[in-house]
Amino acid sequence: MTEDCLKLTTYFGERHRIDGHFLADAQVDLFGRHGVAGSILLRGAEGFGLKHHLRSDRLLSLSEDLPVVSVAIDTRPRVEAVLEELRTVQQTGLVTLERARMLRGEIGPVALPEDLHEATKMTLYIGRRDRVGRVPTFIAVCDLLHRHGVAGATVLLGVDGTVRGERRRARFVGRNAGVPLMVIGVGDHAAVAAALPRLAALLPQPLVTLERVQLCKRDGARLAVPAAPPGPDPTGLAVFQKLSVHLGERARRDGRPLHEALVRGLRAAGAAGATTLRGVWGFHGDHAPHGDVFWQLGRRVPVLCVTVDTPAATLRAFEVIDALTDATGLVTCELVPAFRATAGNADVGGLALAAPPRAG
Amino acid sequence: MNPAVWVGVVLIGGCGAVLRFLVDGAVSARLGRSFPYGTLIVNLSGAAVLGFLTGLALAPEEALLAGTAAVGSYTTFSTWMFETQRLGEDRQVRHLVANLAVSLLAGVALAAAGRWAGAHL
Repeated sequence: MTEDCLKLTTYFGERHRIDGHFLADAQVDLFGRHGVAGSILLRGAEGFGLKHHLRSDRLLSLSEDLPVVSVAIDTRPRVEAVLEELRTVQQTGLVTLERARMLRGEIGPVALPEDLHEATKMTLYIGRRDRVGRVPTFIAVCDLLHRHGVAGATVLLGVDGTVRGERRRARFVGRNAGVPLMVIGVGDHAAVAAALPRLAALLPQPLVTLERVQLCKRDGARLAVPAAPPGPDPTGLAVFQKLSVHLGERARRDGRPLHEALVRGLRAAGAAGATTLRGVWGFHGDHAPHGDVFWQLGRRVPVLCVTVDTPAATLRAFEVIDALTDATGLVTCELVPAFRATAGNADVGGLALAAPPRAG
Repeated sequence: MNPAVWVGVVLIGGCGAVLRFLVDGAVSARLGRSFPYGTLIVNLSGAAVLGFLTGLALAPEEALLAGTAAVGSYTTFSTWMFETQRLGEDRQVRHLVANLAVSLLAGVALAAAGRWAGAHL
């Protein structure tokens, strides 16, 4: 079954409270009450927002109030109902809406017509301990995507969320088997379309979203500069853009982690915000999927850095990213038709959805 | 032992922990984010103060309140170890070695200096 859906993504601080409750909790409660098809709460490793306060898990004393990201996907009416309620509680952070195609249950052959120059981002929502035979599902899925020539995939572990409308929250004690986990794969249409039926054969009731992306860089090679969106939509609503950089924890820049250099560079360039998420498994270039191993000093997990901004600022951010990712990293760009960032008295953008651009 | 002393340990211990939080935060905010200066300053200053208090040769209950309660809750071994391990994860081997060596050598030296100062006051 294929449906048009909306993806609601929010970025804020994990200590942010609403009426004595954590906003993160209040949000997932809200998703649970509305029976949202898929939602996930992710803890960030580093980031900053409109106020440019940098948070990082590197030092214990600076690791309070780390960034968190929540993602909720469902049909447009349901996401709009969630958003209506969310507006009344969320007074700070960034809220974005993106269009996606949602596949659930039986997945047939997927036709991906659209502009052949563009690529596809596939996001799969599964449980933390789901297995295919004896192999964790996320590892089996990364192998599958890698075999089909998909450009990269990153597995992000959630701490809370909803799976098919049911609340699944990680507990301090327990296996937390059903807590959601997301696999984000990006690559050419053809590669993703070829992998999807195999994926559907592996998993009993998959929940997948498909979105259009532009591949900008891979392994240091520049494939394209972020394409300028076609300006404001006919009613004058602004369109924003999201840059994602998939890289590895091992990547260095002047002896420091590359993802740290990216966040610092974006902050120095005046970006509206940036968030780093540490994955558990994945690949982002011409190499086998990787993650932490039992006996190690340095970590080997994949890392995902995300920044959302106006098209002009996105071009500036891309220059910063381009200069730093001269040897490694998978960089993608997506359209964000609704964006609202709030911090103190600053309030940028709005949550009315801009019309989709015409292809071609 | 007097119950008032125990209450004192609880209250002074709490104050020590809050003081560490403030000092660590202020130092980390000023001295950059790549090396755990906050924890280093907290532990070194704590070592000097504990040395000084020992040099003063206080009465047992005063020593308990000032040493174990105040300095004990102010300094932190666990954060020092944790941040050293995080430097390893980030492959910052020089910072890792420096964090261990400077804490140990300067810590012992400052404890000795504090003790000498306390004894000669």
